This record gives sequence, structure tokens and C-alpha cells, in this order.
Amino acid sequence: MSESKQRWRIVFARDDDARFLSHLDAIHLWERAFRRGEIPVATSEGFSPRPRLVFAAPLPLGMLAEHEFADLFLAERLTRSDLRTRLADGMPRGYRLIDLRDEWVGGPAVATRLVAADYRMTLLGVAADPLEDAARRLLAATALRREKRREKKVTAYDLRPLLLDLQVRPPDATAGAMAAPDLAAAGLWMRLRHSQELGSGRADEVVAAVADELGLTTIAPPGSGEAGAEEEAEPGRSIEPLPGQPTLEIVRPVRERLWLSDELAL
Amino acid sequence: MTTIPPADPTPPATDPSGPQHAPSPLPPLAVERVLGRVRKPGRYAGGEWNSVQKDWASVALKWCFAYPDLYEIGMSNLGLRILYEVLNDRPDRLAERCFAPDVDLQAQLRSARLPLWSLETRRALRDFDVLGVSLGYELTYTNLLDMLDLGGVPLTTEERTEADPLVIAGGSSVLNPEPIADSLDAVLLGEGEEAVLEISDALERMGWPRRLGPAGEWRRGVARADALMALANIPGVYVPSLYRPHYNSDGTFARLEALAAEAPPQIIGRIAADFETEVHGIRQLVPNIAIVFDRAQLEVMRGCTRGCRFCQAGINYRPLRERAPDVAVAAAQSILKSTGYEEIGLTSLSTADYTYVNEVATTLHRLRPQATVSLPSTRVDAFTVELVDAIVLNGRRGGFTFAPEAGSQRLRDVINKGVSDEEIARCAELAFRRGWSALKLYFMIGLPGETMDDVLAIADICRRVLQVGRQYHGGKAQVKANVSTFVPKVATPFMWSGQDTTAEIEAKVAALRKAMRGGGLDLRWSEPRSSILEAALGRGDRRLNAVVRRAWRKGARFDGWDEHFSYERWQAAFEEEGLDPAWYAQRDIPLNEALPWDHLSCGVTREFLARDYRRALSGKSAADCHWGPCYNCGVPAATGFECQTGEQGPRALLVRPETGETEPGDGVAAETRMGRWRYVGPPGDPRRQGAVDGAAERGNGAAERGNGAAERGNGAAERAGPEAAAISWPYNLMGTKVQSKSAGLSGLASLVEAAGGESTG
Repeated sequence: MSESKQRWRIVFARDDDARFLSHLDAIHLWERAFRRGEIPVATSEGFSPRPRLVFAAPLPLGMLAEHEFADLFLAERLTRSDLRTRLADGMPRGYRLIDLRDEWVGGPAVATRLVAADYRMTLLGVAADPLEDAARRLLAATALRREKRREKKVTAYDLRPLLLDLQVRPPDATAGAMAAPDLAAAGLWMRLRHSQELGSGRADEVVAAVADELGLTTIAPPGSGEAGAEEEAEPGRSIEPLPGQPTLEIVRPVRERLWLSDELAL
Repeated sequence: MTTIPPADPTPPATDPSGPQHAPSPLPPLAVERVLGRVRKPGRYAGGEWNSVQKDWASVALKWCFAYPDLYEIGMSNLGLRILYEVLNDRPDRLAERCFAPDVDLQAQLRSARLPLWSLETRRALRDFDVLGVSLGYELTYTNLLDMLDLGGVPLTTEERTEADPLVIAGGSSVLNPEPIADSLDAVLLGEGEEAVLEISDALERMGWPRRLGPAGEWRRGVARADALMALANIPGVYVPSLYRPHYNSDGTFARLEALAAEAPPQIIGRIAADFETEVHGIRQLVPNIAIVFDRAQLEVMRGCTRGCRFCQAGINYRPLRERAPDVAVAAAQSILKSTGYEEIGLTSLSTADYTYVNEVATTLHRLRPQATVSLPSTRVDAFTVELVDAIVLNGRRGGFTFAPEAGSQRLRDVINKGVSDEEIARCAELAFRRGWSALKLYFMIGLPGETMDDVLAIADICRRVLQVGRQYHGGKAQVKANVSTFVPKVATPFMWSGQDTTAEIEAKVAALRKAMRGGGLDLRWSEPRSSILEAALGRGDRRLNAVVRRAWRKGARFDGWDEHFSYERWQAAFEEEGLDPAWYAQRDIPLNEALPWDHLSCGVTREFLARDYRRALSGKSAADCHWGPCYNCGVPAATGFECQTGEQGPRALLVRPETGETEPGDGVAAETRMGRWRYVGPPGDPRRQGAVDGAAERGNGAAERGNGAAERGNGAAERAGPEAAAISWPYNLMGTKVQSKSAGLSGLASLVEAAGGESTG
């Protein structure tokens, strides 16, 4: 383990080139970027020390992002401009640096400060009006019973307190062009709570609740499920809906931004 | 509310006309929707570090490398990383990539009626000027057909027009491409670093790059037939359609008729110049998702002189060439820096035989202590304590594997795998002592001249190794034997030898299973019937093209994967063409029979192979020709490359000027305190004269093209006198009367404490 002398909060975006990475792949990608840029990253404790890079929230495979946080701990102090240059030298393709914030090394983990996340996506197979109705019904509900599946264990939970806002917006421009005339498309925006006690709201769960309201089956983009989990479909579980079943398909899901506790009052 | 239009009923996979194609480049959303429905979409998304996206309008000739296996396998291929860089380094060329889609994406593409796309700019394969396809493994031929079909390229050269790309194959299976030759417009034999540029230049000169005509149709400045004719004039390029095979009434191959004056009777593989000092593939592609060999790679040696008689690579990549150590160190550092990898594999067919392996590995370890150096293939008899210490200092992972190949000493002599039981045991001891508790041993069964005693000897040697392990690890010690079926490979001394029948193999496996019972021993064997297909396609002729297409239409894909392989499907395809896989795979071919691949050569003559086969059948081994006598394999005569066998080997072509010439600030060379090595070419080569005369940089300039340290080396080379060529290290350790490398190594008793490692074979 090497001592951490400095902590930089990297604010970054993820574009198409890095979209289909699992969280584990993304970690390896960043580690290689630090080596290319010869950045003196502090290492973790343990039998096989790893570079100390801590993400606020893993990005699901397939998800684009516009305002993410990751804390990078350095073994030697660097100036902002020096770090910026070194990052630029090795920055993985598909990642964009938005800001660097100098943080106190001893502060709490960035994940514990996360309070909310905004998402937007385009839904194919539904027009704006029925989607509007469904969103209104979900927000009016006092509880939304959903099931969480982890391996074989299924636990029931309430999605409603995690859903802070849900709005219908115009679809993504590229998706809109594709949609007409035989394929309806609408945009969906939501703000979801990240809570230490209640857990984190998941965008695909909200879309599944919308689909239930509309009597549709969702085709989720890969990885909009468990963050960081391998994208393998479970054996025997088909990603494809049954033929003839009306479907709701998520395209271009974007995590617009993560909110930290000092940025957003809930 | 509308819903997504129901997908058209999936066209049957057997539809030879292929799917309808959307315009290209593909609409992003269409790609996204397809990727949303498949496993591991990262395989098909591109965007990797060091991948190159160029503006199509600015580039004259566009290549796409189509690798007929999954991304994880193709991206591990060093040849692809090298050629990708070589082409993309030229501003007027472009190379993109495409890998075989897994079965889920195949189905999605067909139902969405989307073409298979290149990773970089997402264009259909048919939009490129040239498709470079890799033929490395016979059981990927059906994948190749599938990629062509999905990419909108007609399956056979006969059906293609000026609108379609040229399909040019390369790789290690090209010494007999006949079973897939109908689908190949041209085949490049041998090494591609230079030839790929020559081919590109020839095509551009002729006007092969295509342009959009006034009526919106694709145009080329040259007819396909003329382009092929011109390619046939490039050394090392084989154009199958310029030949027609004839067969005898008994089904055997009679002769190949050349249909054009341009078609040479014999095509000999290319050998890239200046391997010693020039390194291509520095800015290696770094995948976004985990792949099979997820590390940087530096090829430190090309070729192998051990002469294992089953090994095709050992014949194919002759002559032996070694990278100058300072060039290797500098290249390894550049590769690590440009990729960000923390592990670099020093690759070759047998890296422990690389003269400078300790020097390079320890220097790298000193210069970059945080990086891991790994040796993917190491021979049993070349594995030393020093090597273990240099390599596994920081990062021992996974299992320890080596390949005795045969159980008995007698049979190892037949196949010329010159390791003894004692060496195997010593190697095992070294590994067990260094902390490994489980060893994996690779064997083949069905080898020529094999008896049941030889098979049972596999169990004996495994038990002996296990006993060694128990001294160190008690009951925890484990020996896993991996047994595969021998496949005769063309261009090897064993190409005439038939495979055992399935019944014989099954009997041998059953006996071995019985003999391997007991704690600590584990036996695995591979599906023997896929080995039959591998042998049949490997030794096949052009009649098999129809069989491969039939099998593909019946749904054959990924035949090398047990979960996709169906022997019945292939058997039916053979039967429908009136052919028998067993005839191709299991027949002992008479030595005087004409062979369908006689016109293709890597320089090694058929006479040499036949001589060596006879030696094998009489149980005689042959010494490593690097140190021992020359067996007259034919490579020097065919390629102009002069081997110096015997006392010094080809490495006499590298001269090290007097040491201590380091200058301040001279980068790696200074840091490593090595004199700067120069490749001076084969004896008689003008470059050699130049270096010795102190006029190297006034020579033809080839040596100056070397990268990194080599470029800086000219000052010292000038000062090198003729005595520099007669360097003593490390040969003084070997003695001058060495007959074989093994003997040489026993002379190194103080260095060789034990022997071990992994072999490719």
C-alpha cells in the first residue's frame, strides 16, 4: 500500500465508444489510462494492491453518462494542470473529462455522499400520450411493489419512495428519426433516489413498472440491469420477447448526472 | 400506440443468398437495437485504445481484417495487431477490423436484415476494397463463410464482381488453403509485414480502389480478373482461380494445371526482412473487454529449429531469427507505455530458446519493476532457475503447464521431441519446489508408430511427476494430463501419416483412463471426432469446398467449440458430395503420391520432409539444427536467407560492438549497459560488409529503419571491427563441439538446474 497524498474528484462523461463496458472492464480501462499517462496513483491495501480509484456509482453496461464522479488517490501531489495533461495523454476513448476537484484526502467515500441520479432515455413502442398517462399513474401511486432478484433469492421492495420524479420528454433525435412512421417513440426522464437506507433506484425498474402499466414487455438494453454484473444472460432466459408480444424497448439510456448531498437538497 | 414492426420471419441460416442489406455506414440506432439483444455487446462496439478511425474520403485503399473467430480470440492475435499498425501507419491506407459474430448476433443480424459491420466505422464488409482474412485453424472455415455472407460478400471468387472486395487470406493454415480456395481471391504465403503494403500499392496502381460512378454505381479502374493476375505476380501471392486440379480415377490427386502464364508453378512464402532490428506492432490494440491473452506482446524470436515432427509452425516460420536484445527491451518499453498494459508476453514458438531471454527479462524487470513479464511458451528442457526467477518474480498466476507430447522416450524420439523422462521429472521438481502444487501436462495420442505401451507410458510419467509433487505438497499435489488426438499437418514430416480410427483412439483412451485411476491424477481428452475433421480439412483438396459450404448451409459454425460441433452434420455434408472424411484423415499417403498442396511452400522442401519422415519411422531423432548439423531443409535455397548452423547459428547475424560504448543520455542502451547490437544481414549481404567496414549508415539504409535503440546504434556499429562478428558470448559456454542444443544445455550444467515449461507443439 502506498500512502495517499492527494485526492482528486474526477467529473467525467461516457460516450458511445465506451458504452458497452461492464464496471469491471471500465476499472481496467482507467487503470491502463493512468499507466499510459504515468500518473502516480496510490495503491490499496491487501495481497494484490490495486490503484485507488473509487467510483460514486458503477455505470451499467450500455449506459451513456454526462456527469459522473470518481475519486482518484495519488501517491504524489500533482497540480491540476499536470494531472489534466497526464489524463489527456492516456484517457480511454469514450470518456470525457469535465472537471477536476481537489478534495480532502480524509473525507468520506464519494458513494456515501450520493443522494440522487437523473436518467433519460428513449422508449420505442410507445407514443407520448399513453406514456404520459402511465407516468402520472406511477407518480400518483402510494407504493410500487417490485421484486429484486439476486441470484436465486427474490426479495420484494417498494420502488415508489426511490422515484422522485418522472417526466415525458421528446425522444432522442437519432431515435426519433428511426421511429417514424411505423414505430412510436417517446422520451422519458426520471430522478431516482440513492439512499443508504432504502437502496438505489434503478432506471430499468421504473421502465418495467411503466411497461406493466401499459401491458407491454420490456426489451432492456444490455446491462441496464445489475450494475457491474456480467452482461451474460442467465442460461435459459431469453432476451427476446415471445413472438407477437407487444414490446417496449429502451434505447440510448443516459445517466444525466449524479447528485451529491451538498449539491441537491431532498 | 404502435408497436415495433414484427421482425420478418428469420431467413433460414441456410439461405445462400444472404440477407438484404441496409445502406452503409449503418444507422447508429439500428446497431444499438441489435447490440441490445446480444451477450457481450462490447465485442462488436469498437472504440478501443489504439484503434484507428480514418476519414474514408481521404484514403485510397480500404482494408478490413476479418478474423473468423470470436473477438476475444482474434484480438489476442499478434499478427492482427502488427498488420493493423503497418497499414494504418500509412496515411493513404486504412485497416479496420471485424470478428466472427457469436451465434446470437448472427441470428439478430439476419432477422434485422443488417449486414455485418467493421468495428471502426461500422460499414458492411462488402464496402471495403480488400478483406484480409486469417486462416489459422481449419475449424473456423465455416465462420469465414458466415462472415462473408453476413457482410454481403458472395461466397466464391467466381460469383464476385468488381463491386465486391478482394478476399485475401493469410495466416498459418495457408500452406494448404485448397479446401476453402473457392472463397479466396488470393492467398499470401508467409509473413505479411512487407507484403501487405506491396499488395496495397499494386492494387492502388491498378485502380482497384472503388469509386462511386455517375449513376451511383460502384466502379473500379480495373477488372477483377486483371487485378488477380497482377497479384499473382507478387512473390508469395497465390491466386487459386488461376489453377485447376485434376484427379485420378481412384480419387487421389493427380496434378494442378496452371490456367495462365502468370501463374507460377510454385509459390514460396515471404520472409520479412530485418526482424532482428525492426519491430512492428508497438501501438497495439487494447481491447475494452477481457480477451484470452489480455496483455501486451512482443515477439522476441521467429521460427524454431527444434524440429518436432508434428509441428507445422516450426517448419512454417523458418529460418530462425532473434530480436537484438536492446531492440527488444526498447520495444517492450514502448509497447507497455503505448498500451498501458502492466503485463508483456515475450512470445515466440519457444521463448526459453531465445538467446537473450534472461538478459531481456531481467533488464525489463529492473527498468519497469511494476510490470510483469511472461513467457507463454517455454520448453521442458530450457526452463532454468534463472528463468523462473526472472519471470515469476512478480506475478505468478494460473497453472504451470508443459508438453512432453508423448509418454515414452521411444515415441518422443520418433516425434523428435527431444526431452527425457529425467528432464521432465526435474522440470516438475523445479515447479513444485517453486510453489505450484498442480501441474498440467499435454500429450497427444495416435502419433505415428504409437503402440499401446507408448500410451500407457503417459500414465507412468504422470505418476512419476506426481511422486515428485508429493515430496513437496503431500496429498495436495496434482497432475492433470490433457490428451488430444494427433492431427497430421501439411508441411510437416508427418503429413503423410494417417490418423488413428475413432475406434483405435477410443480404445487407447479407455486403457489410459484405467491406468490413470487413483488420487492426484486427472485425465482430460478432447473430442476425437473434431480432430478427424481438422485432419480432413487440413489435408484436403478443392473438392472439399463444396463440403464446407454444405456443412455451413446445414448450420455448422464454430466447429472448434464442442457445444456447437456436430460431426453428423459434417458427415452428411461429405456424403452428399460423395466423399469420406476418413479417407482424407486416416489414410497413410504413399510418399510418391502427388499432393494437392505441392505447389505451396514455405521454402522447406518435400524431399527434406520425406527424409525426416523416414528417420522418424526408424525411430531416429534429429538434432536441433541451430547447433547441430544442417539437414538441408531447403529454406536457404528457396528464400535466399543463409542460415549459419552449427557452432553459432543465425545469431551470428547480430553483431555486438565492444561494450562500454554507452553515452550519457543514450536512453535504454545506456541504462542497460549493453553494447548496441546491429543486424548485419546474412553473410554476403552488402549490409554486413557495410557494418564491418564502418559504413553501415551508408549502406542501403535498411538497418537504420530500426526503431528505438537500433537507430541510435550506428555510431557504435561504425567502430565495430570484424572481430565483433566473432563474439563469444554466450557461445563460449556452449563449447565448440556441440552437436545439439540439448547437449549444449547439459554443458550448461551450472545454469540448468532443472528443465520445464510449456511448449506449443
